[in-house]
Amino acid sequence: MVGNKEKKIKEPKVKDEIKEPKNLKKAAKNGLKVMRKTRRRHPLREEGRIIKYGTKGFARNFWLSSAATVVMSITLIILFVTVVASVILTNTADMMRDKIDITIYFKPETTREDLDTLTETISADSNTKSVVTADSKEEYEKFVAENAGSEEIINVLDDEMKALMISKMQATMRIKVYNVDNLDSIKYIVENDELFVKLVDEEKQPTYDVNQVEIATITSWARIARTGGIILAAVFLVISILIIFSTIRMAIFSRREEIYMMKLVGADKRFIRGPFLVEAEICGVLAGLIAASASYFGFMWLAPKLAGYGINVDEILGILQSSKLVLMFLIFVGLGIIIGRISSRLAVSKYLHKA
Amino acid sequence: MILLDSVTKTYPGDHKPALDSVSLHIEPNEFVFLVGKSGAGKSTLMKMITKEETPDSGKIIIGGIDLDYVKKRHIPGYRRRLGVVFQDFKLLPRRTVYENVAFALEIAGMSGKEIRKTVPKVLELVDLTDQSKKFPAQLSGGQRQRVGIARSVARQPKILIADEPTANLDKLTTEEIIQLLKKINDFGTTILVTTHNENIVNTLQKRVVTMKDGRIVADQKNGGIYKLDETPRPKLTRNMMQAPGHALKQRPRRVIQ
Ligand SMILES: Nc1ncnc2c1ncn2[C@@H]1O[C@H](COP(=O)(O)OP(=O)(O)OP(=O)(O)O)[C@@H](O)[C@H]1O
Ligand SMILES: [Mg+2]
Repeated sequence: MVGNKEKKIKEPKVKDEIKEPKNLKKAAKNGLKVMRKTRRRHPLREEGRIIKYGTKGFARNFWLSSAATVVMSITLIILFVTVVASVILTNTADMMRDKIDITIYFKPETTREDLDTLTETISADSNTKSVVTADSKEEYEKFVAENAGSEEIINVLDDEMKALMISKMQATMRIKVYNVDNLDSIKYIVENDELFVKLVDEEKQPTYDVNQVEIATITSWARIARTGGIILAAVFLVISILIIFSTIRMAIFSRREEIYMMKLVGADKRFIRGPFLVEAEICGVLAGLIAASASYFGFMWLAPKLAGYGINVDEILGILQSSKLVLMFLIFVGLGIIIGRISSRLAVSKYLHKA
Repeated sequence: MILLDSVTKTYPGDHKPALDSVSLHIEPNEFVFLVGKSGAGKSTLMKMITKEETPDSGKIIIGGIDLDYVKKRHIPGYRRRLGVVFQDFKLLPRRTVYENVAFALEIAGMSGKEIRKTVPKVLELVDLTDQSKKFPAQLSGGQRQRVGIARSVARQPKILIADEPTANLDKLTTEEIIQLLKKINDFGTTILVTTHNENIVNTLQKRVVTMKDGRIVADQKNGGIYKLDETPRPKLTRNMMQAPGHALKQRPRRVIQ
C-alpha cells in the first residue's frame, strides 16, 4: 500500500460531486473552491431556526430563564431609579434656587423713580436674573390684596390709617439671581452704590445667606445624584451583566457537551450561538417590559407623595404622561436585549472557541 | 476518497508520535475496518479526518478536499460533508430523535419542506419511526446509536467515519449496528470504522487496516484478523477467533512493510 501510494493518487475514476483529484495541487484548488462554495447559505432560513430553537430553549429552561429575567428586571429598575433620582433632585434644586430671592427693604420715602434707577443699577450685574420693585403705595396695595378675604383687617382701614400705613411701609426690591452661590457682586453694589446706601433701610439690612444651607444641601444632593447616578448606573449595569453572565454560563456549562456535539456535526458558530442569544434576548424583552411597567406604576404611585415633600416630579411625570412613555418602554426593552446579548455572548464564547 | 500521505502527528507533551508517517488510501464505496490495540493511534487518525486535530506533516485529502485548505472558518462546512458516528453517540439531549436527525439537515440549510420529507425516510432506514418523538435518554444504547447513524447519513455524505461505534453496545446490538453500516455502504457510502471487536471484523470480510504504535502494519483486502501484537490474548478472544469459517483459516494475513 505504501509503495503503491503515488500510483493510487493518480488513478481516480470516481464519479463524485467533487472530483477526486488528479494530483495534489489540483486537490488543493478543488478544496478551496468547495470551501468557498459552502460558506453562506440561507441566512433567513437559518435565522428562523435560530429563533425557533431559542424560543424552545427559553421554554425548556423555564426556571433559569425566569431567574435571568428577574435579575435583568431588577437591574433595569435600579437604572430607572438612579436616573429618575438624579433628574428629580436636580429639578428640585433648580426649583428652590428659583424661589430664592434677595429682598432689599428701602426707607418708606423711596420714590418710584428711585426704584427704577436702583433697578437699572442692579440689573447691570451679570448675576441678576430679574428685579421686581414696589414702592410704599404698591406694597400697601399688595397688603390689601393679600388680605382681601379677611374683613376685620380691611374694615379697620380708614383713610387716616391708610395714609399712616403707606408712610410706614417700606419700598422693596426682590432680586432673582442666576447663581445663588455667589452673591458677592450684588452685595458689593448694595453696600457701595450711593443711592443704595442712601435709601436702604438701616433697620432691616438685607441678608445674603437666606436658605443658603438648605440650598447647599439640595445642590450637593443633586450633584451626587447626577455624577453618582451615572457611576451607580454603570456599576449596576456591569454587576447585572456579570450576574446574568454567570446565570447563563451556568446554564451553558451543563450544555457545553451539546455545544461540542454541534461543532462536531458541523454546525456553524452562528447557528450554535444563535439560540442561546435568542434565549437571553427573550429574557431581555420580558425584563424590559416588566421593569418598565413596574417603574411606571411605582413612580405614578410615589409621585404625589414626593410632591408633598416639595420634591419636583414634574419633568418625569410629564414624560410618563405623554407619548414619550412608549419611548421609555422601548428604551427598557432595548436595554434588556443589549444586556442579554452581551452577557450570553460572553458566556457562550468560552465553549464555542474550544475544540 | 480518503487519502493520507505520510501523515505524522505528535501531541504536544508526548515524545512518541501518535501517528508516524501514516499513508492510507481508501477508494470510493469501500468499507474499511481500522483496528489495533489501545493507543495505536486509531482515534487520532479519525480526528485527522474530521479535522479535530491537524497533522504536523503530511497531506490529507478527503473527498477531493485538501485539508490544508480547510481553514478554521471552513471547518463547519467541511464537517457537514462527512458523516460522523461516535462511540458515545453525541446526541443532543434536549432534542427528540426527530429533531436530532433534523438538526443535521438544518445546519446544512435545507428547507423545512425537504427536511420533513427526508427525516422520516432516514428514520425508517434505521428502523426508528416509532421512536421519533422520544428523547435520547428514553432510548436503549442500540437505538441511540441508530439515531447517531441516522443523523450522520441524513445529509447523504459520501464518506462516513465511525470511531468505535459499537464499544458501548452489547454483542447483539453491535451486530445490528454493523449490519446497518453495511446497508449504508451498499447504498454507496465509503465507510471507515474503528473497532476492538474482532468478531465483526472477522465475519464481515471487508478490508482491514491494522495499526500499531502509530503505524499501519497490515492492510488486508478482504480481511479477517488483526492479531498482530504478540501479547497473549484473553481466552475468550482466542475461542472466538477459532470459530468455524474464521478468516485465519481461509487466508494468510498480508503484512506490508
Ligand atoms: N489529546 C491528546 N493529548 C495527548 N496525547 C494524546 C491525545 N490523544 C491521544 N493521545 C495519545 O496518542 C496516542 C494514540 O491515541 P489514540 O486515542 O489515537 O489511540 P486509539 O488507537 O484510538 O486507542 P483506543 O483503542 O484506546 O481508543 C496514545 O499514546 C495517546 O496517549
Ligand atoms: Mg480511540
